[in-house]
Amino acid sequence: MAEPFKVWQCSNCGFLYYEAKGLPEEGIPPGTRWADVPEGFECPLCGFAKRDFEMVEV
Amino acid sequence: MIIPTEVAQSVADPKAYADDKRAHDAFTWLRKNMPLGRAELDLFDPFWVVSKHADILEIERQNELFHNGDRASVLTPKEADRKVREMMGGSPHLVRSLVQMDNPDHMKYRRLTQAWFLPQNIKKLENRIREIARSFIDRMEDKGGACDFARDIAFLYPLHVIMEILGVPEVDEPMMLKLTQELFGSADPELNRNKKAVDDVAANVNAVAATVAEFIAYFNKMTADRRANPRDDVASVIANGEIDGKPLGELEAMSYYIIVATAGHDTTSNTTAGGMWALAESPSEFAKLKANAELIPLYLEESIRWVTPVKHFMRTATADATVRGQKIAKGDWMMLSYPSGNRDEEVFEEPFKFKVDRSPNKHIAFGYGAHVCLGQHLGRMEMRILWEELLPRLKSVELNGKPRWMEANFVCGPKTVPIRYTMH
Ligand code: HEM
Ligand SMILES: [Zn+2]
Repeated sequence: MAEPFKVWQCSNCGFLYYEAKGLPEEGIPPGTRWADVPEGFECPLCGFAKRDFEMVEV
Repeated sequence: MIIPTEVAQSVADPKAYADDKRAHDAFTWLRKNMPLGRAELDLFDPFWVVSKHADILEIERQNELFHNGDRASVLTPKEADRKVREMMGGSPHLVRSLVQMDNPDHMKYRRLTQAWFLPQNIKKLENRIREIARSFIDRMEDKGGACDFARDIAFLYPLHVIMEILGVPEVDEPMMLKLTQELFGSADPELNRNKKAVDDVAANVNAVAATVAEFIAYFNKMTADRRANPRDDVASVIANGEIDGKPLGELEAMSYYIIVATAGHDTTSNTTAGGMWALAESPSEFAKLKANAELIPLYLEESIRWVTPVKHFMRTATADATVRGQKIAKGDWMMLSYPSGNRDEEVFEEPFKFKVDRSPNKHIAFGYGAHVCLGQHLGRMEMRILWEELLPRLKSVELNGKPRWMEANFVCGPKTVPIRYTMH
């Protein structure tokens, strides 16, 4: 069985990235795993980098 | 690159924001002709006016190169600055909250309450906030078809929510509202502490300092209480919090309460009032929203962009820098104009149109970077719940008199929004 989708959170502003939903408006399709999000990704709310995100339980 | 005096005055003058059009006309001119110009006015030390969306983001993301606290973090007349420094042992700040801090302190102090304001934590407040929202909508119904939506509803609902979260009892809410309005409305003759036009800068600083002192006296008592009897509220987090293993500094703790007790409602109130004003003025936008409640989240973002209740914050360059090809010298003072960024023609289609279904809507009303609004998830949630409850019950709405804006160049919104309405 595939890994369940996870949720990642920006540690500066609290923005939530849902792997299941992706971020289509930023060109990241639904179902994109965090590992596959481009390294240059920036938080859409505050501009912090991908490395500033943490996995969370929501 | 010196901004024509008349334009620079409209950027600084609280009355220009009360006129709304005058401030926006000045920013529109700047974005077109002098996107990063220098304001040289008699009353103020020179400052750069950052009017473009992209430049505001670029400056905010570089929070080590552009500091919040090295000089006043909001636009302050020279004479007021001198007076504050005299009172505060050389510091340009009357309080020291997150918006006056830089790293390393900023991050440590922000982390203290951050968990409280995260979406996964405030979710537990959803039902309680919905109850509060419903009680205000009942109140609207009781008013029998006409009210001042700003004063009767919009100012009071977010006030009640944030005071519950902070831990201030309901009986003290009117006082909290009055003190907040004295601070943010310090230039407005109807709202400031002395209830008169500001003709004497030093007297105005004294009035603001007296308001701050009143807040401090109140929150000092609260600290003592929460240290003795901690509860599940934000006051207990501040009172019992530690930074590097020690309790918060006295000024820092007091400032923390003050920022939550002021920024925590006034901004949301302004947005709510302005969002209703926009609908009352535009029957076709109201009809579109009424027909499709799924537009509520987009409508909220558009209200936030439309009102942009925080008009600016200042930054100070910590080293020589270049922005938009312009040299900025170490120590230069810069105004980040959020309302200007939120009308930027390069980012928003028809920026001067209120569209309930605007998408995308990458507004910067909550700022950006390390200082981005801590309460944005709460503010959005409060407004979403209010409209989820109100929209199904509101049949029609129109203006019932002329709304008016507050006179302020820092935090400001509508002061009165008279409406006539029918309910289901
Ligand atoms: C529509 C509602 C609101 C708007 C438009 C708004 C806007 C802003 C803006 C523009 C900033 C400065 C960001 C920057 O420098 O980049 C800010 C900071 C802040 N806001 Fe809000 N705000 C709102 C609601 C709230 C609420 C409900 C709270 C509740 C506690 C809150 C608490 C704060 C705090 C503590 C900061 C300082 C953050 C820091 O410097 O690290 N705000 N807000
Ligand atoms: Zn973020």
